[in-house]
Amino acid sequence: MPEHARQLLSRLIAREVRSRFQGSASGWIWLILNPLLLLAVYSFVFGVIFKARVPPGLEMPFVAWLAVALWPWLMFSEGVLRGAQAIRDHAALISKVAMPREMLVLASVSAVFILHLTGYAAVIAVLAAIGVDLNWPGLPLLLLSLSTLFVLTVGLALALSAIQVYVRDLEQALPTVFMFWFFLTPILYAPSLLPDEYAAWLDWNPMTWWMTEIRSALLYNQILPGWPFLALLAGSLLMLWLGRIVFSRLSPYFEDFL
Amino acid sequence: MNAPLMRLDGVSKRYPPTVRSGERMRAFWQLLWRGQAQGGTSVLEDVSFDIIPGESLGIIGSNGAGKSTLLKVITGVLEPTRGEIQKRGSVAALLELGAGFDPEYTGFDNLRMNAAFLGLSRAQVEERLDDILSFADIGDSIHEPVKHYSSGMVVRLGFAVVASVRPDLLITDEVLAVGDESFQKKCIRWIEGYLADGGTMMMVSHNMYQVQKLCRHALWLEAGRVARYGDVFDVTQSYLAWHERKHARQESPAHGRNENAPYRIDRMVLSPANDGSTVVAMGGRLDVRLELSSPDERPPVAVVGVVRADGTPIYGVGTDHDGVEPVEIAPGRYAIEISFSDLPLLPGGYAARAHALDSEGLRMHDTVEETFTVTGKTREVGLVRLKHEWRRP
Repeated sequence: MPEHARQLLSRLIAREVRSRFQGSASGWIWLILNPLLLLAVYSFVFGVIFKARVPPGLEMPFVAWLAVALWPWLMFSEGVLRGAQAIRDHAALISKVAMPREMLVLASVSAVFILHLTGYAAVIAVLAAIGVDLNWPGLPLLLLSLSTLFVLTVGLALALSAIQVYVRDLEQALPTVFMFWFFLTPILYAPSLLPDEYAAWLDWNPMTWWMTEIRSALLYNQILPGWPFLALLAGSLLMLWLGRIVFSRLSPYFEDFL
Repeated sequence: MNAPLMRLDGVSKRYPPTVRSGERMRAFWQLLWRGQAQGGTSVLEDVSFDIIPGESLGIIGSNGAGKSTLLKVITGVLEPTRGEIQKRGSVAALLELGAGFDPEYTGFDNLRMNAAFLGLSRAQVEERLDDILSFADIGDSIHEPVKHYSSGMVVRLGFAVVASVRPDLLITDEVLAVGDESFQKKCIRWIEGYLADGGTMMMVSHNMYQVQKLCRHALWLEAGRVARYGDVFDVTQSYLAWHERKHARQESPAHGRNENAPYRIDRMVLSPANDGSTVVAMGGRLDVRLELSSPDERPPVAVVGVVRADGTPIYGVGTDHDGVEPVEIAPGRYAIEISFSDLPLLPGGYAARAHALDSEGLRMHDTVEETFTVTGKTREVGLVRLKHEWRRP
């Protein structure tokens, strides 16, 4: 990336991050508090009411099991939703300034990842502090998995942001789709707890693979990337490639449709 | 001569139909599979010209002629539907109202963002910050969100950022009309300095005086096509003349043409003729030849005059005033010629108007008009050049 584009991107990201804090007196508190409340609700409903269990062989509270996967999911879903909105949100800019437009999507997704990575780091630190047994040597693998998740998110957000300029319905549909997707992904439950005929279906959901890999790195004793990681890498690169094709086809005409 | 900074070759732009969702979907699939959408309204048609370094080009035309679209295509905000734009690695800065500012952010934020769009690095922005702020001269408002700015303040800030960048190509869209008197002067001084240092500029303006003052060439767009391109005086004058004529047509559609009049003008020829239109240089000579018919053996009286394109009479004279008579060229047909030399008319659009009167010169029977254009390089205003001399007492 040329120096000029890099500077532009970092400025866009900085602005995006800052805008999350602006206007509300305690913006950063909400940023941490919201996922924490979500975590509290889910662990109460599923851990206490439904008595959801961690898969056999793991000795940890349900909340730890959940938190490890919840934050990556938030990065992914919020990244895609915000990224998909990026072009429409910056309509005024796009019709006035000639700039590489994918920067807007990239900045949007990056800002989400930066913010949630911070939250994720804090949560992991808290888990370690309360004595949850984490697999520290798996940390590099976790970061690699999150990197592929970032690539996937950017690819998907690029495609959706471009399509959304033409197909406005997407804006209404996406949050619902992501809610379904959340429950169809083994975040609140372990695939091994499902009856076999359902568990097989889960493998068709790419997010299952990411969640499994992330948990393997942080909770089980996996250290070296195996072939599932290569699948994640290939899948995310494929999505990025597709997203870029769709974006580059559609982006020259954004101004006509915005 | 230098290689062009930018070359437009047959550039056309169509806006696809976007109102109904069905149309949007169709356009979407067409763009996705074939990279091109069909239908829509044409805004630019086959526009070609070069921008050479050091050029100053004014773009003029009525509202909706495609001026702003052309600028957007040039800056790269819009992709042309057909045609090609070749750019030689250069920064083109478009300056228009709102110039890419996000109203939610403060002026300061937008300043930094805008500078980044124009390719300034962080260090460069810090370095030039004082210059930018003093040029914009909006005081503490810089820390307010842009949505609280007046349009003049937005332009001030936008211009200040662009001025600090010194782009290779400066493109301004009607910005000077917004600022107050003192800021306009500042901008014009800056633009003059920029042009004198070899900068290249394109400007859209409805202020012909400004265009003539700042530009060397002009491009007149009409309904998306290049109506005229060339020297700024020629183009702006024919543009103004066209407007006056259009105005005059709306005011008085009929001109008292009377096919059955007993005394008629059969033909009026102006010279020098120039592919169908008459063009006279200021101070040159205009010849008018009239052919008239009369129902009896007596020659009619002819009156010939010059009116401004909107119909305001400037001068008129009759054959009977000067005691001349048209000569008979065939039974019942007469001809007369008149020439106006040292034409003192200022550049613009005019018409020669002729009337046929009865032989006593009492009743006007027929009226014919032929338009002509006076060209010249002058910024005098009005209709005619009055003899004058300046004295310093």
